[in-house]
Amino acid sequence: MNSTLTDRYIDAAMRTVPEKQRADLSAELRASVADQIDARVESGEAREAAERAVLIELGDPDALAAGYTDRPLHLIGPRYYLLWWRLLRMLLWIVPPLAAFGIALGQALSGAPIGEVIGSTVVGVMGVVVYLCFWTTLVFAILERNTGKSPLEKNALTKDGPWAAWNIDQLPEPRESGARLSDLIGMIAYLVLVAAAILWDLLVGFVPGTQLSFLDPGLWPWWIAGLLVLMALEIALLYRVYRAGRWTYRLATVNAVLTAAFAIPAIWLLTQNRLLNPEFFPTLVPEDGAQVSQILAIITGFGIALFAVWGIVDAFLKARRAR
Amino acid sequence: MSETEALDTHLQELRRGTVVLACLRLLEQPGYGYGLLEELEGRGFDTDANTLYPLLRRLEKQGHLTSEWNTDEARPRKFYRTSAAGTRLAAQLTEEFRAIAGAIDALPKED
Repeated sequence: MNSTLTDRYIDAAMRTVPEKQRADLSAELRASVADQIDARVESGEAREAAERAVLIELGDPDALAAGYTDRPLHLIGPRYYLLWWRLLRMLLWIVPPLAAFGIALGQALSGAPIGEVIGSTVVGVMGVVVYLCFWTTLVFAILERNTGKSPLEKNALTKDGPWAAWNIDQLPEPRESGARLSDLIGMIAYLVLVAAAILWDLLVGFVPGTQLSFLDPGLWPWWIAGLLVLMALEIALLYRVYRAGRWTYRLATVNAVLTAAFAIPAIWLLTQNRLLNPEFFPTLVPEDGAQVSQILAIITGFGIALFAVWGIVDAFLKARRAR
Repeated sequence: MSETEALDTHLQELRRGTVVLACLRLLEQPGYGYGLLEELEGRGFDTDANTLYPLLRRLEKQGHLTSEWNTDEARPRKFYRTSAAGTRLAAQLTEEFRAIAGAIDALPKED
């Protein structure tokens, strides 16, 4: 039997309609289409052409059916969009960096070559990001379709939705500019302490009884002099920030350069085995000293990198907030 | 958006509520989809099948219309009729519409 265009259209539309409503809806739609065709035929159109015209006017059968069944034609609607977006953004800020750090550290500790460390980190982070986005979105898409079908319901965040409504106390506090006197003094004190600790370590030593330094003795005097110069420059920069009252992008860039000037040589020295004293652990811990040294070296490397990245990013964030 | 497109959207917004009111009032006498569509057009409520049919379903789901299938003629048709709740709603909507019309009349005139 030849199925007419109308039959095909109605079959297509009914595909997305739940079983219960199907018979009723298809009968009503069929009658409606027939009526519209008749009206056109009466005003002189050919039946075939009229049928085509009517069905074209009705439009996409899935869209028509969605209008009948109040099915949302969006993945996540205005009700849950902000909640989804804020949650996803928070997750993406927290989880991938942690994952990257963990994967890289694990790979390095197990002695993988640098290429493999980078490779598995990148692949791992990409996987984490994809999983985060997919599962978060899926949960919210399901939520969208299973709570309160009425399209007249307003934003669930302002009603008794599953999560507490936005309330005014959630407004972000004004962030610190990082350019107050206390910040300056704090940083100066910190740098002075670090410089003092390094000098003490190299000249006197922390281990009682021996002249054993934690840092490589070959660092004295020129590398240490360089470090002290960098620290002095950083103090000068922080003084400029204090005088300006806020961080700017230019100042943040200078900060980034100084931090990199510290971190990159430090890590290079580390890979050359010239940062930490290779005699330190074997002397203190005769048995597995070398291995402890190596693990500590890797952790130190990551620590320096993390500290540097955080310092750079923090300055830029403060600059952006102070715009 | 061109001026006519903007005009069309605003006109659509303006008319949207009034079609509901017209349907509820007209369906005090039982009517079916296409017949109602023609009558609405005749009375100056411009709408199309795509809007009207889902609207009738929605009103039925909300309890403002009742429906039954009429198999008297060769083509079985679904007839809608305004329920008691629908009549109450129609009265409220009409009153509100008159209030709005009065408020528009009271707006400062343009010179």
